[in-house]
Amino acid sequence: MTQPLNGLKIIEIGGTVSVSAAGKKFSDFGANVIKIEPPSVSDVRKIAPFPDDIFHIDKGAVHLAFDTSKRSIVIDHLTNSGKEIIQRLGKDADLIIMDIPVTEAQDLINIFKDGDNLLTNVVTITPHGMTGPYKDRVENDLTLFGWSTRSHRHSIAGREPLRYGPYAGVVQIGSTAAAVGMAAVWSKRNEGMNRLVDVSGVEALMGNVDSGFFLWAVNGALQPRSAGQSSGLYPSGAYKCKDGYMLFSAGRDPVYSRLCNAIGRPDLATDKRFTDPEEKPKNFEIFKKILEDWLATRTKYEAFDELQEQGVMCCPVLDASELENDPQSVYRKSYITRNQDGIGDITIAGPPFRMNGLYSDAWESKPAPNLSEHTTEILQEHGYGTQEIIALFRAGVTT
Amino acid sequence: MTSQLLKGINVLEIAEVWAGPFGCSLMGDLGADVIKVESYPRKSETRNAGDPKLDPRVAEGEGPIYERINTHHHGNRNKRNLALDIRTPEGREVLTRLIKWGDILVESFSAGTIDRLGYGWDTVREINERITMLSLAGWGQEGPYLGRIMFGVGFDAMAGHSLIRGYQNGTPEEMIPILHSDATVPLTWIVAVLGSLIERERSGKGSYIDLAQIEDLAWQFPGIISEWKMNNRVASPVANSDPSIVPHGCYKSAGEDSWINIAAETDSQWESLVTMMGHSEWAELKHPWSSIIGRIDSRADINSHINQFTKDYDSFDLADKLQAQGIIAAPVLSPPDPLMSPQLHDRNWFQIIDHPYIPERLLGGFLWKIEPDPPSWDQRAALVGENNDEILMQLGFSSDDILQMRKKEVIGDSYDEATR
Repeated sequence: MTQPLNGLKIIEIGGTVSVSAAGKKFSDFGANVIKIEPPSVSDVRKIAPFPDDIFHIDKGAVHLAFDTSKRSIVIDHLTNSGKEIIQRLGKDADLIIMDIPVTEAQDLINIFKDGDNLLTNVVTITPHGMTGPYKDRVENDLTLFGWSTRSHRHSIAGREPLRYGPYAGVVQIGSTAAAVGMAAVWSKRNEGMNRLVDVSGVEALMGNVDSGFFLWAVNGALQPRSAGQSSGLYPSGAYKCKDGYMLFSAGRDPVYSRLCNAIGRPDLATDKRFTDPEEKPKNFEIFKKILEDWLATRTKYEAFDELQEQGVMCCPVLDASELENDPQSVYRKSYITRNQDGIGDITIAGPPFRMNGLYSDAWESKPAPNLSEHTTEILQEHGYGTQEIIALFRAGVTT
Repeated sequence: MTSQLLKGINVLEIAEVWAGPFGCSLMGDLGADVIKVESYPRKSETRNAGDPKLDPRVAEGEGPIYERINTHHHGNRNKRNLALDIRTPEGREVLTRLIKWGDILVESFSAGTIDRLGYGWDTVREINERITMLSLAGWGQEGPYLGRIMFGVGFDAMAGHSLIRGYQNGTPEEMIPILHSDATVPLTWIVAVLGSLIERERSGKGSYIDLAQIEDLAWQFPGIISEWKMNNRVASPVANSDPSIVPHGCYKSAGEDSWINIAAETDSQWESLVTMMGHSEWAELKHPWSSIIGRIDSRADINSHINQFTKDYDSFDLADKLQAQGIIAAPVLSPPDPLMSPQLHDRNWFQIIDHPYIPERLLGGFLWKIEPDPPSWDQRAALVGENNDEILMQLGFSSDDILQMRKKEVIGDSYDEATR
C-alpha cells in the first residue's frame, strides 16, 4: 500500500531519544529512514522497561516504539571513513537529522557543503543550539525541562518543580525537529533549495505554547500554580468517584450549569455562593462534598457517560492497565500488537494520525530493527563491495 | 520577511485554543499564508477573561480586554484575521470561497460539529478537491466518544500520563494540570498535512486527516503501556529521579523558590561533582558510592548531601561551575528567568513586538533557526477582524458586499460592539 511519505529518504544520526522520535514521524508513514547508530550504543536502546526486566540491546521499550520501520546501520561518524559513508548515504537524501555534540555536528555539516552551497537539508538538534556561550554544555531530559520554565509551572508552590515525566522534553524536541524538517523537505521538492536548521532544545521547549515564560512575557504577571482541585474556579481537577478519579474542567459557564443539571442540582447554577466570584472560593468545600457524594455512587465510566451526555467537560483518569480496554481505544485500535523477533508480541501506540481512513490494521509500521541489522544491506545499496565492507568492519568504522 | 519554506501554501484556520492555532502560527513562521477565521460575534476561547484586575492573564493597557490576554497572543502570530459568523448565509459564502482558496483547512471542533455546520469532508472536497482537511477533535472522528468534549488536560489523564507525572507518593487530587497535547499536537499535524501535500503530487487530490489528540499523546510515552504489557506493572511517578541514575534530581538553591537540576550519569561526572562538593573520597574505589550500584543503594543519602551543598548557591552560578566540570546541571527557571540567560540573548532569541494594546516587552522567539531565511515575527497576533476588508476583497467581494456584511454583523472588528 502506498503511504504518504513513500519515496522520501531520511537519515538520522546520533541514537538519542530525540532523533529517534524525529525519525519515527517519517518512518511510520512510508519514508526510507536510515538510522545511523554510534558504536557506543544508542541511548534510545538503553532505556527501560525491558521484557521481564532483562536488559537487551534490541528489546528496550522506547527503542521498540520509536524505531519502527527504520533500518539500522552502525557507523563511527568521528572517523574519516565513517564520514565518507555518511556523505555517500546523505548525498541523495531529502533530509538529515542529527543529534550529536556541536563540534561533531559542524564536522558533518561541512561534508554536505560545497563552498557555501548546502547539498542537502540538515537539521541539527543540540541542547542550546549551534552557537552561543552555552553551545557545548551537557544537558539531559531533566535539565532541559528545567530550562524551559515548564518545570516551574508543573509544581506545587513551595515544593520542587517537576518535569512532565521521563523523556517528555526530549521527545518534544525531536517532534519539533521533525516538523521543521518536513517543511524543509517540502521546500526542497518545490524550489530545490536546501536549508540548515538549528534546533536548540531549550528554545524548542521554551518557545512552545505552554511555556511559562511566554505567558509571563505578555503581561509580566506570574500565573498562579494551579495544582490540584481549584478552589476558585471549580470543579477543576481530579475528584474521587466509586472506582477511581474523574477529571473536570467545568468551572465556567455554560459547562458549570450543565454540570449542576447533570447531578440533579440545577439550583446550584444560580446560587450566589457558587456563582459570585468573591463568594465562590469561600464555598468550595460545600460544593466539593455535593459533587463527591454524587460521584461516590458511580464508577468513573458511568460518571463519564452521564456527564458528557449533558455536555460536561470531564473524563476518567486512567492508568496503564486500563488504556487498551478503553472503549474508544478498542474502537479505533489506538494500541496495536506486533510480533517482534526475539520477543514475541509487543504492544505499542498506533498511528498518531489517520489519513484517508488508513487505520491501525492497515498501517504499515514494521518492527524496530536490531542493532546494525541492515549495515551490510545499506552499504551494498550505496555501492560498497564485499571487501570494502569487510575493511570497514575490520577498521571499527562499522560493527 | 519570514522563512519561505512553505511559501505558496494557503492555510485556513477554523480552530480555537492552541492545538490548531499554534500549529497555524508555526506554518506562518515557515512562510505559509494563514487566514484565521475567528469566531464572531462569540469570542474565541482564548479571548475570554474575567475581571482584568483579578485575572493575571490580562496585560495592562487601555484597549479591549480580549486583545490583551496572554493566552491569545501566544498562538496567533504570523496570520491574518477574519472575524466571521459562519452560521449566516453570507458567512457560509465567504467560507466556501476560502475553502476554494485553501490548500489546508484546520478545524478543531468537537467531532461531528463541522458536519453539522455543513462543512464535513465530503462537502469540503466537493468545493475544492485539492484541499487537505485536518480535524483535531480530542478523541478523533469516530467511535463511542464521538462529540464528547474536553481540554488537553483531560486527554493527558485518559492517556495514562497524568498518573506518572506527579510527586512520588502524591495523590490524584494533587494532579497538576498541563497542556502537553497543545504543545505537541501541532508538531505532529504539521508533518501530517505536509505529507498529504506530497501525496497530492501523486494523486492530484487532497486528503482527510483525523488526528485524535489522545492518540498523539499515546506514542510519546511508550514506557507506560510497555511496563504493563511486558512486566505487568503499572508505572508510577518517578518525579525528577531516574531509576538507573544517581544523582538525578532537583535540589534547593539559595533564594526563595529557587532550584537547580543536577545529574551525574557517569562515574566520571560523579567524581567531578563530589570533588566540587569537597568529598573526593566518595569517588575512590574503596567507597561504595564510587560505583553506580552503590549510589543507587544510597539515593536518599546522596540527595541529602547534594541538597546541603546546593542550598547556599545561586542556581545560575552553581550551574556554571558544575558545567565547567562537565557535569549535567542547570537552573530551574521561573517564568521571568529566561531574560537572565546570556545564551538566549546571544542568539537574539527574544522578540520585541509592536502591538497597539499591550506594552512593549520582550516576548519568546521561535522554535528553530533556519539558514538562509530565518523566521521572523512579521505579523503580531492580529486584532479581531483586523484583515476583514483585505481578505474579503481578495476573495472577490465588493466594498458594498463588505458594508452589508458588517451591518448584519456577519463580520466585525469589535466584540464589544456586537449586538448578538
